[in-house]
Amino acid sequence: MYSKFELCGSMSKKPLLFLFFIIPQCLWGQAKFVKDTLFANSDSVVVTATRTERKLNNLTVPVTIINAKTIQQNGSLRLTDILKEQTGINLTSGFGAGIQLQGLNPDYTIILINGEPLVGRTAGVLDLNRIALGNIKKIEIVKGPSSSLYGSEAMAGVINIITDASMGAPLTMGLRYGTYNTVDANLETKLQTSNFQYQGFINSYNTDGYSIRPNSNSRVTTPIDRSSTTQQIKWDLSSKTNFVLNTRFTNEQIQNEIAVANNGITIYSIGKENIKDVNASATLNHRFSKALKTSLRTYTTTYDAVQNLLTINGLPYRDVLNHNFKRVENQTDWNLNKNIQAVFGLGGVWEGVKSSRYDSEKIRKQNDIQYAFTQWEWKPSEQFTLIGGLRFDQNKQFASAYSPKISMLYKLNPQHQFRFSVGQGFKAPDFRQLFLDFTNAAAGSYSVFGSAQAQQVIAKLEALGQIGNLFPNYYLLKALKPEYSNGIHFTWDWKINTRSALSLQLFRNDIKNLIETQQVGTYISGAQIYSYLNIGRAFTTGFELEGQHTINSNWSLSGGYQYLRTGDKDQIADIKSGTVYTKNSQGYSRIMKLNEYVGLPNTSKHKLQVKVNYNSPKGYYLNVRAIYRSKWAVNNNNGNEVFDNGDAFASGYVAINSAAGKSFKNGVSLQAGIDNISNYIDAANLPNLPGRTFYTSIKYQLQKNNNK
Amino acid sequence: MKMNLRKIAMGLGLCIALVACSKEEETIVVPVTVSTLTVNDLAADTVTGLGTDGRPQSAGTTTYYSLVDNKVISSTDAATTKWDIAFSSTKILVNSGTSGPGLGGAFVFKGLFDDLKTIPADSSFAIDNSTAASYAIPLGSGRAWYTYDGLTTLVSPIAGRILVIKTANGKYAKIEILNYYKGGVTLASTASVNDKLFKQRYYTFRYAYQPNGSKVF
Repeated sequence: MYSKFELCGSMSKKPLLFLFFIIPQCLWGQAKFVKDTLFANSDSVVVTATRTERKLNNLTVPVTIINAKTIQQNGSLRLTDILKEQTGINLTSGFGAGIQLQGLNPDYTIILINGEPLVGRTAGVLDLNRIALGNIKKIEIVKGPSSSLYGSEAMAGVINIITDASMGAPLTMGLRYGTYNTVDANLETKLQTSNFQYQGFINSYNTDGYSIRPNSNSRVTTPIDRSSTTQQIKWDLSSKTNFVLNTRFTNEQIQNEIAVANNGITIYSIGKENIKDVNASATLNHRFSKALKTSLRTYTTTYDAVQNLLTINGLPYRDVLNHNFKRVENQTDWNLNKNIQAVFGLGGVWEGVKSSRYDSEKIRKQNDIQYAFTQWEWKPSEQFTLIGGLRFDQNKQFASAYSPKISMLYKLNPQHQFRFSVGQGFKAPDFRQLFLDFTNAAAGSYSVFGSAQAQQVIAKLEALGQIGNLFPNYYLLKALKPEYSNGIHFTWDWKINTRSALSLQLFRNDIKNLIETQQVGTYISGAQIYSYLNIGRAFTTGFELEGQHTINSNWSLSGGYQYLRTGDKDQIADIKSGTVYTKNSQGYSRIMKLNEYVGLPNTSKHKLQVKVNYNSPKGYYLNVRAIYRSKWAVNNNNGNEVFDNGDAFASGYVAINSAAGKSFKNGVSLQAGIDNISNYIDAANLPNLPGRTFYTSIKYQLQKNNNK
Repeated sequence: MKMNLRKIAMGLGLCIALVACSKEEETIVVPVTVSTLTVNDLAADTVTGLGTDGRPQSAGTTTYYSLVDNKVISSTDAATTKWDIAFSSTKILVNSGTSGPGLGGAFVFKGLFDDLKTIPADSSFAIDNSTAASYAIPLGSGRAWYTYDGLTTLVSPIAGRILVIKTANGKYAKIEILNYYKGGVTLASTASVNDKLFKQRYYTFRYAYQPNGSKVF
């Protein structure tokens, strides 16, 4: 993970290494090398943690930086590839590949590209395979509630993907070929003058998909064609004013011919999915004085997904989701004096969704948000920093939210740093929870109605004589409140010596108002009617330990471990009161004991990853990465609604990935890699993990005189 | 089909002896002599094959059972009061309403089999009404006695659910469903499709029947 060679002592004096990947050109701003977290020095600048440029070792909250070199040397193509190798992050499957951060579901991590949020979640999950990594400069991961700066969704943390036109080679081309006819092609151009920088990037990704499911001719991952283009313009209008424009278009075609064979009988269906994702942002930055600067940001994005499924013996199925998000925001940074810096922000969001799962796919459901935030940083000495922040979000469709956060840094000495943060994050009810109007004709004709209209819809059905029973939950239906999380993070960074570093982080997140699907009644037929209520309370807690050691100028080791405990507080209370049952091997029920409770599903107690890294001055490199995840509960088998030892678990597993390559002085670099060397397969629980796959790639970077 | 007779309470003689020793004259308890019986592998419309729609196929039969006599009743007696409870795949009927002419009824009790010593006085026994698809023991996953997992295609009895039954003759019994698979062991999620198909719909359950008409077990 933390393959920071450029930082490490003697290595950083060997410039040949850098030629291959990044050519430093400090044309504008403070373009610098980006180091991974543990090896990073005070030069590494982070923007996500405070929404201002801060040196990594001055941050008060835990941040992980993944740089372009690590991504490239690991052979990572999509955002999921690199995130699954990070401490505290697990990949989830179902509705695309999402990530679980410190035990919290994908819904609770906001994903930003250059500071602007991505939209288009299905069941709360943003498919991170949508994001190509070919042109990015770095990824910043902030752990802990960050709603005080980012608003909704920033409950578990923030992942910000950053591209930068102001550095890099004028022309880069890459081509990769791998198992399952997976072809990934990149073309990146850059144009840099003294006051104008342009980056254009095109990525095309095609795969036949793979089949690892028994009894099925069909593929788990289906044939996919993805293309994506991004453009960035940075234009210095004057020495005090600059303008940044970012655009991104992605288009994804997924074709799925499903043929499931059971006992010689084959059922065919044809699925076609088309996803378009467009993002555009324009930002104007102006510096009034050394102490005062402001930026005006505008952003618009649309996510449009259409899914058609034709089954030979079933009804055709069509699913449409169109999500539109517009935002205007102003942020002003003011340095009151040497010790105090303040940030003020103000913005508005106009957001709308059209979906075939709502009462009409023609009508756009709308939510408007106005928000304001402020953050104050007090630095009385070089050793101590204190930051306080507060944000207020006012929503049209649901209750408003305040998000406070306090964080601090104490540098005991050059070896030891301590960070402490406590904050509140929130996640607004999403459109599905407000407006869903879905009846599953195929499976028992149950219905799910969004809370904003459940009572209205059910009252209509009752007038038609279709309602059998109304449950007590029906009368509890009201405007949904946001889900809240209170997070506490404590981090101890220990630079043992110039070659070794350790970081220990303790964390706890307490979540309340969890929005859960609850039965509110039945039809006359007995079929269930569901809606959403704020009822759940849960926690995730544990620690992360990360370490890094440079063996010599060529070899280094790094690794991370997460210990995680999770639980549903209401279920724990029920277990303690003796009203939760389980069955013994004979099938007799008995009262469940607390020590049989395993916590929230899909969470693993242990995750460990270790990376061995080799870099030679001649441009050769090799890395081997092993990732271990312990078992996790996937299904409630004994019907007691809590997850315990008697339930179904996915087995723990180890995946080993390796990549090696060589970069030549003429700008050509070659790479070959193997993922999942031990060929670990669990089709039901790890559909995103194909068996062993191979790839090889070639890349060319046009060299440019680096004499500026 | 193998029937097991198992006495869970202490021996009859010992019970009486204990009561006899009791000095509390005002609370003379009638000795509870109800025994718990276990029925193994009761076939209930077992699967004959896989349909073209991918669903299991079966003959659509119902297995009728007498809790009073602890035996299977012929389906030709479906319209009589000889049976108390009937099984057809995951559907469980009681001899009441649209299902039969008996005085039957049922409700689902949440708790442990042994803890249900007396049926609460205010309990109401529902009856079957097939025209409204409403049954005394509600149909469907997660409702009365089982959950169905669409991913593993396995049926698991819910822990802590007791079916409280009013028999065809108006007396009371309590039932705990122990298993739905042949041999009394739920299949592993990795079991073969054939096993999942053909080993299902074999009920193993235990029950206690109180012949004296009281609600005490």
